[in-house]
Amino acid sequence: MGKAMKNREGAVMVLGGGIAGIQAALDLTELGFYVYLVEKSPAVGGVMAQLDKTFPTNDCSL
Amino acid sequence: MLTNADFLALEGTAGNFTATINMRPRYIDADACTACGLCTQYCPKHHVDPYNEGLAITRPIHIDYAQAVPATYYIDPSSCLFLQHETCQICVPVCQSHAINFKQQPEERKLQIGAVILSPGFGKIDPKTLEKFSYGKHPDVVTAFEFERMTTASGPFLGEVKCFSDGRHPKRMAFIQCVGSRDIGCNNGYCSSVCCMYAIKEALVTKEHDPEVDITIFYIDIRTQGKDFDAARERAEAIGIKFVRAKVADVTPWENRLQLTYATLDGQHKFEPFDMVVLSVGLESPKDAQKIADITKIDLNKYDFCATNGFNPLQTSQEGIVVAGAFQGPKDIPESVTQSSAAASLTAASLKKVRGKGVELKIYPEEQVVAEGDEARIGVFVCHCGINISSVVDVASVANYAGDMKNVTYYTENLYSCSQDAQEVIKKKIKEHKLNRVVIAACSPRTHEPLFQETLRDAGLNRNLFEMVNIRDQCSWVHAGEPELATIKSKDLVRMAVSKARHIQSLPEQTVPVTPKALIIGAGVAGMTAALNLAEQGFESVLIEKGESIGGNLKNLHHTLAGDEVQSHLKTLVTKVNGSKNIDVICNAELVQTAGFIGNFSSVIASGHGKTKVEQTFDHGVIIVATGGREHRPDKYLLGKSKKVVTQQELEKQLAGKAKTRAPGSIVMIQCAGSRGDDLNYCSKVCCNHALKNILKVKEINPESQIIVLYRDMRTYGFAEDAYLEARKMGVVFIPYEVDRKPEVTEKGGKVQVRFFDSIMQEEMVMNPDLVALSVGIVPDDTDTLSKLLKLPVTANKFFLEAHVKLRPVELSVSGVYVCGLAHGPKPVDETIVQAQAAAAKAAIPLVKGHVTVDPIVSSVEQDKCIGCGLCTSLCPYGAIVMQKVDGKRKAETVSASCKACGICAAHCPTFAISMGGFTNEQLISQIEAFGATGDR
Amino acid sequence: MADQEFNPSILGFLCNWCCYAAADAAGVSRFQYPPNMRTLRVMCTGRIDPAFVLRALAEGADGIFSGG
Repeated sequence: MGKAMKNREGAVMVLGGGIAGIQAALDLTELGFYVYLVEKSPAVGGVMAQLDKTFPTNDCSL
Repeated sequence: MLTNADFLALEGTAGNFTATINMRPRYIDADACTACGLCTQYCPKHHVDPYNEGLAITRPIHIDYAQAVPATYYIDPSSCLFLQHETCQICVPVCQSHAINFKQQPEERKLQIGAVILSPGFGKIDPKTLEKFSYGKHPDVVTAFEFERMTTASGPFLGEVKCFSDGRHPKRMAFIQCVGSRDIGCNNGYCSSVCCMYAIKEALVTKEHDPEVDITIFYIDIRTQGKDFDAARERAEAIGIKFVRAKVADVTPWENRLQLTYATLDGQHKFEPFDMVVLSVGLESPKDAQKIADITKIDLNKYDFCATNGFNPLQTSQEGIVVAGAFQGPKDIPESVTQSSAAASLTAASLKKVRGKGVELKIYPEEQVVAEGDEARIGVFVCHCGINISSVVDVASVANYAGDMKNVTYYTENLYSCSQDAQEVIKKKIKEHKLNRVVIAACSPRTHEPLFQETLRDAGLNRNLFEMVNIRDQCSWVHAGEPELATIKSKDLVRMAVSKARHIQSLPEQTVPVTPKALIIGAGVAGMTAALNLAEQGFESVLIEKGESIGGNLKNLHHTLAGDEVQSHLKTLVTKVNGSKNIDVICNAELVQTAGFIGNFSSVIASGHGKTKVEQTFDHGVIIVATGGREHRPDKYLLGKSKKVVTQQELEKQLAGKAKTRAPGSIVMIQCAGSRGDDLNYCSKVCCNHALKNILKVKEINPESQIIVLYRDMRTYGFAEDAYLEARKMGVVFIPYEVDRKPEVTEKGGKVQVRFFDSIMQEEMVMNPDLVALSVGIVPDDTDTLSKLLKLPVTANKFFLEAHVKLRPVELSVSGVYVCGLAHGPKPVDETIVQAQAAAAKAAIPLVKGHVTVDPIVSSVEQDKCIGCGLCTSLCPYGAIVMQKVDGKRKAETVSASCKACGICAAHCPTFAISMGGFTNEQLISQIEAFGATGDR
Repeated sequence: MADQEFNPSILGFLCNWCCYAAADAAGVSRFQYPPNMRTLRVMCTGRIDPAFVLRALAEGADGIFSGG
């Protein structure tokens, strides 16, 4: 994600680092923006990281 | 990435916000922590593990799970002995990398940002709501979240399902649906939209563990309305999971079991004992929803979720702030992922002017030339991974063993090969010893190869001159009890890798330029939305429509369930599309031919009829498929034969008209007419809501109208549940029917008659309504032609199949082709709009970059050896090898940008003309030979 | 040989995306299994030329494992 710079232009804050926040952050970086992904817990991943398998294909979720 | 951070304040306006963030201390230096886990082993204090839903004990100093990102441990101050009582500090000397720092203080940071995306997720239902089910009173009543951790193979019980009370395996289990959802009692009137799915999933997983267990799911409606979700429900029924439509009144402990009291539809009260009860708890609005709203000044809806509008579903009430995921309304993973991409595209459009300004590009030193004939100078680095490897494998002996091998110029051990200082050592050694191949024996290349390849590039080596040996995940961790054999295995694996390394070669970094233009097929709401979003991001598109004019299905709709006018919105949309410089609209058009690959497609579009028919060729970089769908017309229930039988869409049109009799006095609606195992094998997702919006409209025009709805499951998921409740309050009667006892519609003397079995009164009923309205479902518009033209897979139900159902919901298996709208699966307008925005985000990625990078491990054809048999072309699953005439002879050629490196072509080529970068025959054979050469270890 | 335990030497071809990932996951979960297999990572089991299997047998493998 590059190194932090002061007062960078075109930065976006994504609040919440669950699957939604992570996806938004990844897409935004790919679209040419700097992202601050702000998560209140010590790790990103959210609830999806707690899931064993996912419906309906029962794929592994990690 | 700012973790352990609280959002405190937001000032400024769209394009120029300042956010204040408080970074709470981790008490561990993230750069120094190597995630070895020693500290957790030594920490003496217990800490209830929230990651495992409190089912396990960890320590205050810990990491939630092995794959956590960032892979840095942290100290939970709430239970740390030092932070609470200033004692202990055992962890400080234990940590070999001196990462623990109790002096860390909270740090406030100001972020200058142009826009905000809110994705705070969802909250948990108050345990008070669960008390009537004996939750908290009896240990064998668990929430589905707790049960999920229990069934997880890597969870605290290694996937074993047992009762907490006495450790026995449950023989009879009950799932109770709608706990904390569709429940006015706890002020959650909405449906949480995910619980039916996870309950079925968990029941299926439990059955997999123990086929003998008897499972009953108690439900009001089973809402498996998502794409191909019904099939999973049927699978569950087929393996013996019971579904009982009943409201559970309470759960009471009864001897060592639990007794359920429930009422079935026909009014009977029943009691039944179970060993274990799982509560399918709903999704609450996030705990800090109100706080977020106060800081950002966005509006919330009455359930404290973010308030948005159906035609702009992710825009909050504040400009520059969009929402994604469960905060917008309860939803599952694919929809959250779709919304996130859509939120990214909206943000990208609003900040178009500053795109690319905040991102720095990294510059690498010039690459050292390593020619084929150069002597291999291999450096071998064997990692201790703290004690993860070295506690089992004799690392020094493995390193020495490698040192004796031919071509190994340098060898050493690292405590942590992945640490920042180790990268510096590796770079230094590459230069010092003129290494031209690097072998690292450590953990998995799946996680760490990119890191080390980056180091190689920094040292001026081609990143493919690298080989990794997995002696942790696939050796020390799995052979903990056999250190000698694990050491031998490590040596064997290192020998194989070194042997391969002698043959590895530099591979060129390939990039392909992109034509910054999109082709969008279908100009319904999906295609128009995608085109507009791309236009706002600054990209041109060609929008083709097979019909006379743009608009699609929106032309048939008049109002939404939320009460918004569709036609005026459509008008705005059409005006915007027609007025955009960036959108080239072609009607009466179809795609004739497409050649090329991501970034470089070339398509022939035919438009017009007869003599005016013209063919045009366009170059474009991406394709968005938005071919849509239409109302299914079943040959059933006298549809098309009686004037008194109409579809919901026809009723909607009638209601939008001016006729005095447009809202008849008595209506029978039949749901799933043709759907769900009838003509169509799937649920069409929108029909229940469609019926409800018509019901509310009829009632608005003619409050006296009597309406009966015959349904199988009312699938008014999310906030639409409110409308369902409202309709029932207005006296609309909803009666479920069974699939083997469908209603019958007949006509006699101009009067239409409906005969059905009333499952509430338990008797046969006959009605003579003024009108019968059928909810008929959605079928995709012809997907066969396009599927063949673009090599796109479709599902059994003829919808396009996305690349990954959960994580890549708008991408198709062919790179550079994206899907949205009804062509992907039935869905309402708001979800279509979001999906179109998401497709635009994904399509914009290669357009923004201007080039696509191709992973160098792709196939390549040696033209001299190729005999042009075409076997590879027919076998390639990605259409990435094409036959071309070279000097009059047929020769195969790889389309690098489409190649996924599977190697099927190379394995099948009869003349060994195809080689896989990084996995050549020579390399693999030398690896196999080394496998056999066990003599000298 | 009769009273000796059979201790085969196995070469495993593992697909990077599934079986190799699964083997990593087994490690993360600390599942224990006998250390008889040597692994060779490929990007897809489609890469496995039957000639590789024969070659491995000729080199002394007692068994071949293919996981994808």
